[in-house]
Amino acid sequence: MTPDAINRLVAQLAKLPGIGEKTAQRLAFHVLRSSPEYARSLAAALVDVVDKVRLCSRCFSLHDGAAEALCGFCTDPRRDERLVCVVEGIADELAVERTREFRGRYHVLHGVLSPLEGIGPEQLRIKELLQRLGDGVVTEVVVATNPDVEGEATALYLTRLLKPLGVKVSRLAQGLPMGGDLEFADQATLARAFATRRDL
Amino acid sequence: MKLLSVRYERFRNLGALTLTPSAKTTIAVGPNGQGKTNLLEGLYFLSTLKPLRASRLAELIQFGQADAVVQGRFLLQGAERDIAVRVEGKTRTALVDGKAASSLSSYFGGVSVVAFTPDDLAVVKGGPDGRRAFLDRAVFNRFPGYLTESRDYARALKGRNRLLKDGASAAQVGAWDEALARFGAKLFVRRRALLDEVAPKAQAAFERITRLQAPARFGYGASGLSGLDFQGADEAALAQALHDALVARTPKDRERGFTSVGPHTDDLELFLGDAAARAYASQGQARALVLAWKVAEIENLAQANGFLPLLLLDDVSSELDPERNAFLMQYLVDLGAQALLSTTDAALVQRAAGPDTVWWQVEAGQVRASDGA
Ligand SMILES: Nc1ncnc2c1ncn2[C@@H]1O[C@H](COP(=O)(O)OP(=O)(O)O)[C@@H](O)[C@H]1O
Ligand SMILES: [Mg+2]
Ligand SMILES: [Zn+2]
Repeated sequence: MTPDAINRLVAQLAKLPGIGEKTAQRLAFHVLRSSPEYARSLAAALVDVVDKVRLCSRCFSLHDGAAEALCGFCTDPRRDERLVCVVEGIADELAVERTREFRGRYHVLHGVLSPLEGIGPEQLRIKELLQRLGDGVVTEVVVATNPDVEGEATALYLTRLLKPLGVKVSRLAQGLPMGGDLEFADQATLARAFATRRDL
Repeated sequence: MKLLSVRYERFRNLGALTLTPSAKTTIAVGPNGQGKTNLLEGLYFLSTLKPLRASRLAELIQFGQADAVVQGRFLLQGAERDIAVRVEGKTRTALVDGKAASSLSSYFGGVSVVAFTPDDLAVVKGGPDGRRAFLDRAVFNRFPGYLTESRDYARALKGRNRLLKDGASAAQVGAWDEALARFGAKLFVRRRALLDEVAPKAQAAFERITRLQAPARFGYGASGLSGLDFQGADEAALAQALHDALVARTPKDRERGFTSVGPHTDDLELFLGDAAARAYASQGQARALVLAWKVAEIENLAQANGFLPLLLLDDVSSELDPERNAFLMQYLVDLGAQALLSTTDAALVQRAAGPDTVWWQVEAGQVRASDGA
């Protein structure tokens, strides 16, 4: 019989996306064989993620500062505060960031409009985006939602709300694979798409 | 392109079969209900990833089994490729040389097929849905990218319909109007391009088949796009026209809970002279129209790809009158394409057979191959 502690670890690991029972077992035994110090710092890192990481109160990116504080993107004085890039999720934000092409700030929607999944504007950080634009500092919004059906429709929805506020709205140019995910696009493609963003 | 061999596993009533077709004509013979159509359907599915008749993928899996596989060895542009498709539950996986195909274009690189079934013969007199599906199969065969485009359109359409039913805000419906118009315009462009290529060839083929006075005409019926030069408009103008139509119909669409204009409501229009074939064509003329279309589709694919498509003819000879059937058999002989024909009566297709014909006797999902009838 395998000790319960191992079974528990395997069961928890197997809940992770992309990890099956077999891989979970391999990982668990790897942890067991490694130094106890490794297991302790892994555990601490896991706990820190939930205890310390929170959403930025302005752009909804992740950060580990104080509860009401802003994230690094929002506070970095070298970033252009007139430019905001709207992304679906954190993974997309990181993908855009990796290109080093974009030096403005972000706004993370945490999802995309999807009538088929019952996701409307209220479930996304859209109201907060509009509030953010109220002070007139932001002059251009780059909508970097994925080029699939929901991403396109969300971009068009945002355009309808943003254009009347007098901000310039642009969309990443195609060149991104249609139906593909921003998250998986290679850097060169993404960089090119940024350089050639179009008006909406 | 040549199909070198095909393997079926748990596909409908075909348990486990490996078959070697002729490089030219292969004829599957057997009584009804034995699995002849299933043989053709498997090949169609392998070549297009779309089922030939099933509405649900799960129907392709043998009763009581968990999955089904069709695998073919093809000679494509000088190289042997192993192409397979597996259905499990509601999902299908495409494999090229044993690896999951990363993109549809890598999967479809070079495989091309035209199917001809008794259902096709009924489209002229049937409803617009059947003609749309008939047209879309041809578009898809010619432009594999159409598979993704029509899926995107269908998803956008479903989304808009849901918003209409839920009484969503004008801003949300408006956003979907715009998205739907853009995705829809892509379908317009593809369908128009296909008709531009195929219609003249089909009209010429109809003359060869019937030698009749009234010429055939094949056109695209875009409904509800008022004041638009459909033929001359570019993609942006088509999107604009569809968008205008969607906006104009929104109040009515909200009442009914569905979208009443767009590529999903259009029709393939068939005329004999000035008369709509749907209302005025005789049974024989209707079938000649479909036959002419299929001939045109084959010629068009051959011209576009530089090689002949694989032909799958399911029991069509029994549905054609003797004269049209004779035309078709002679056409196949002259064309020399790789073809798989099914029939309950070998005599009907005898004229398409040559020295290199392979005969498959089909009985209860089993196949016995022979090289003479
Ligand atoms: N999923 C399935 N599993 C097993 N048998 C099936 C399945 N789907 C259809 N069949 C059987 O296949 C037979 C029909 O095969 P088909 O190819 O249409 O015949 P035909 O030779 O007349 O063209 C029927 O006996 C039917 O019960
Ligand atoms: Mg049949
Ligand atoms: Zn922030």
